[in-house]
Amino acid sequence: MSRLLTKPRFTGARVTRMEDDRLLKGQGRYLDDITVPGMLEIAFVRSNRSAAKLVEVDVEAARNLPGVIAVLTAEDCPYVLHDEKYQVDQSVLAKDEVRFVGEPIVAIVAENRYIAEDATELVRVQYDALPPVLTAKDALGDTRRVHSQRPNVFEHWEQVTDGFEDAFNAAPHRAQATFVTHRQTGVPMETRGCAAMVDPASGRLTVYVSHQSVHQFRTDLIKVMNLDEHQVRVVVPEVGGAFGIKAMFYTEYIVVTHAAKTLGRPVKWIGDRTESLLADCHARDNIHEVEVAFDDDGVICAVRDNVIGDTGAYPILGFPGAVGEAGWATGHLTGPYKIPHVSITVDCVFSNKTPVGAYRGVGGPVGAQVQEGYIDLVARKLGKDPIEVRRVNLIQKDQFPFVSATGNTYDPGSYAESMEEALRLIGYDTFRDEQVEARKQGRYLGIGVCVFVEPSAGVSSEAGSIPYEAVTLRLEPSGKITASTGLGPSGQGHETTLAQLIADELSVDVGDIVVLHGDTDSAPFGGGTGGSRSATIGGGAALKAAREMRGKLAKIAAHLLEASEEDIEFQDGQAHVAGVPSRGHSIAQLARIAYTDVSKLPDDMQPGLEVVSRYRPPMSVTYSNGTHAVKVEVDVQTGLVKILDYVAVNDCGVLINPMIVEGQIHGGVAQGIGSTFLEELRYDDAGQLTTTSLAEYLLPAMTDVPRMRIEHLVTPSGNDGGFKGMGEGSLIAGPPSLCSAVSNALEPFGVFVTEIPILPQHIIAWTKDKVAVEA
Amino acid sequence: MNELTTVEKVTITLRVNGEERAVSVEPRWLLSDVLRHELGLVGTHVSCEQGVCGSCTVLMDGQPTRSCLQFAIQAAGSDIVTIEGVTHGEGLTPLQRAFAEHHALQCGFCTPGMVLTAQALLDKDPNPDEESIREALSGNICRCTGYQSIVDAVMAAARTTQSRVEED
Repeated sequence: MSRLLTKPRFTGARVTRMEDDRLLKGQGRYLDDITVPGMLEIAFVRSNRSAAKLVEVDVEAARNLPGVIAVLTAEDCPYVLHDEKYQVDQSVLAKDEVRFVGEPIVAIVAENRYIAEDATELVRVQYDALPPVLTAKDALGDTRRVHSQRPNVFEHWEQVTDGFEDAFNAAPHRAQATFVTHRQTGVPMETRGCAAMVDPASGRLTVYVSHQSVHQFRTDLIKVMNLDEHQVRVVVPEVGGAFGIKAMFYTEYIVVTHAAKTLGRPVKWIGDRTESLLADCHARDNIHEVEVAFDDDGVICAVRDNVIGDTGAYPILGFPGAVGEAGWATGHLTGPYKIPHVSITVDCVFSNKTPVGAYRGVGGPVGAQVQEGYIDLVARKLGKDPIEVRRVNLIQKDQFPFVSATGNTYDPGSYAESMEEALRLIGYDTFRDEQVEARKQGRYLGIGVCVFVEPSAGVSSEAGSIPYEAVTLRLEPSGKITASTGLGPSGQGHETTLAQLIADELSVDVGDIVVLHGDTDSAPFGGGTGGSRSATIGGGAALKAAREMRGKLAKIAAHLLEASEEDIEFQDGQAHVAGVPSRGHSIAQLARIAYTDVSKLPDDMQPGLEVVSRYRPPMSVTYSNGTHAVKVEVDVQTGLVKILDYVAVNDCGVLINPMIVEGQIHGGVAQGIGSTFLEELRYDDAGQLTTTSLAEYLLPAMTDVPRMRIEHLVTPSGNDGGFKGMGEGSLIAGPPSLCSAVSNALEPFGVFVTEIPILPQHIIAWTKDKVAVEA
Repeated sequence: MNELTTVEKVTITLRVNGEERAVSVEPRWLLSDVLRHELGLVGTHVSCEQGVCGSCTVLMDGQPTRSCLQFAIQAAGSDIVTIEGVTHGEGLTPLQRAFAEHHALQCGFCTPGMVLTAQALLDKDPNPDEESIREALSGNICRCTGYQSIVDAVMAAARTTQSRVEED
């Protein structure tokens, strides 16, 4: 079969998105827009205690409210999420005991949400308070067990390289710091939701859900509820942002499905914002106690990291966040640096807080903060420029593939090059003079850098452990193309990027392709979207499917033209004999023949043009990389940080659509600014979440996020297409570069930032009240 | 024990996207809910219901207004424009086109509110500078785009409108 001879027309181009038309008109249909006659709505009564025995749950008054159809407690909805590995049961509605504020206890099904919420007010819950486990110290010390039958530490691992102690002890210098990342969460603009109904025509159960993976969701649902998968259709409509939190499986989905099945009526639940902040998975909540050993030049020989990850009350179905966060953070503890020795100890614990799961980057932002933090620490201790310390430790181009001390094999990247390019863009050479001058005037400027590696398209990601993705392709009799993917887009533009790849392989216009997703009845079984796997694995599947289709078309064309298949070329929507464009057939003609004029097909060919293609990438993970560099000014009077300049040099291999890649970077940096300066889920001493609205959990607004400049480097991956995932790198690199810049700006005060978020009151305390944060 | 009584509905008239619509509402129903669930205008999205995020923004007598912070009865007699009303027939307005061209949307959930807020700004000030755009749209949260592309789209739309005015 012939290969692409012409330059791709769409791959690599800034193709505007096919999704946009409907979304801009308000015609995108999100979960709450699904409505069918007779649909009921659910509201949940949630625990307002962090730890308590349930003495009595009185639902009588709620049941009697006009408009209430059913009231469900644990007895009426007896499903349990059983975690085999950690031996923990979570009743989908709390039974006997509550373990975090926000845990659902009662579900009210009513004619509408107003009545359902009225009825929640009538439920009387009598609690018998238990002492909550809220701090890592309490959890580790087993002051009380969150789950009485097992210790709070539910996962423990250690990794020490041979010769660590000797190397560590022999180094001329050592330093230590404790890095802390507080609780944050994804906050997609569309809250979570779910609707379930028995389809009156087929009798099958249809479940609509705002989720990242239709098949993973169906698998989890049928397993817990003991259903047959061919009797369950899962549909994910438009998803209004997901960021990892919608890759998890939540108890509410079972309650909604159970209610629809038992009542025989459609039932819907849409979380409100307070429910989202209480019960969407939280993230981060890590403590890293780090020690680093280094020589006079700043060359680091060993890093020790003792980690405590708090996962909250239950191991959320998907993966327990503490394990994922600590796993990624410590698995990539050495980041882009050639540090030969590590010693890692991890303890993951339960507490009486909201379960922790995935949020964009998972442990990446934490790990990068630790990694860039210890580099800055070494520079601070030696009185060296932080960039010099990075230069002497960075992996160089001729060292790939590079096996890190933690055992990861990095495929080729541009670590050192990306840093030099970012420094050039931000004007590093002149910055130090600028900084000295500014300090003389009482202005505190700082520059920060994060050189990041982003493990992407890992076979095991928040989208499940399915190490492949599938695309089906149907060339319609008209010559138009219907493709379908198991991916689960939530704004990343998969309909466009997959169409770009397919269009180039088949030499058709991108507008001739529609990409379907989000319906188990049409989408081929696949992993969904998470862990930055869509372009790399899903894109590979699209390429593979399109190539198979191309082979079929070449075969028909060769037969019709009495030429050899190898001599068939594709160009401008036509298959023709190489070098003879006049002897050819349009794709549309070939498609028509394949369906309706089948006597013209080769004897050994089936009519129709459909392929199902599954792609398993040769590499289990491919590494994106890049450098973010940021210049800030810290106002020590107000404690506010102004971002003066922000540059991102990104290497995600081959770019399918630079516009979309840049959009991901912009969005990731914005979330990084939120992570660094605004966002924190705060609990009080009783375990009450005190940030239950967007007036308390602050998100970056248009006035908080500056312009940024982006440059692309291209080091292709070894996978088909050469793509690397890049959905998370900018949230990985954002917070560490911003922390580093603030540390740098406040160096005259002896300040070294080790915790995020950095709030104005912290800066004032550090600089005015001299509450020094010294490493 | 609370005694909850059934609330009487009242019929109000709203002028929505140029049409008089009579609708029977409970006094406590939010304008966002009435637009979405009673009038079927689901392009108005509800994200926080706390008045913070701006997703549910509609134009009320020309002013960007959070429909989650208004009871529908408060809007009786007002002129309301939703995203469905700002869209020209089958096509997109210059502002909407600029959003697509500048990748000013990803998941699209905040987009109707963004477009309406930006449209209100452009109606008042056809040539805003970047700072005024950021100020005017600072009450609309987008979690995907990082905002730069939205600012660029609004500036580009202003330029397109300006150059059309000059041509005329």
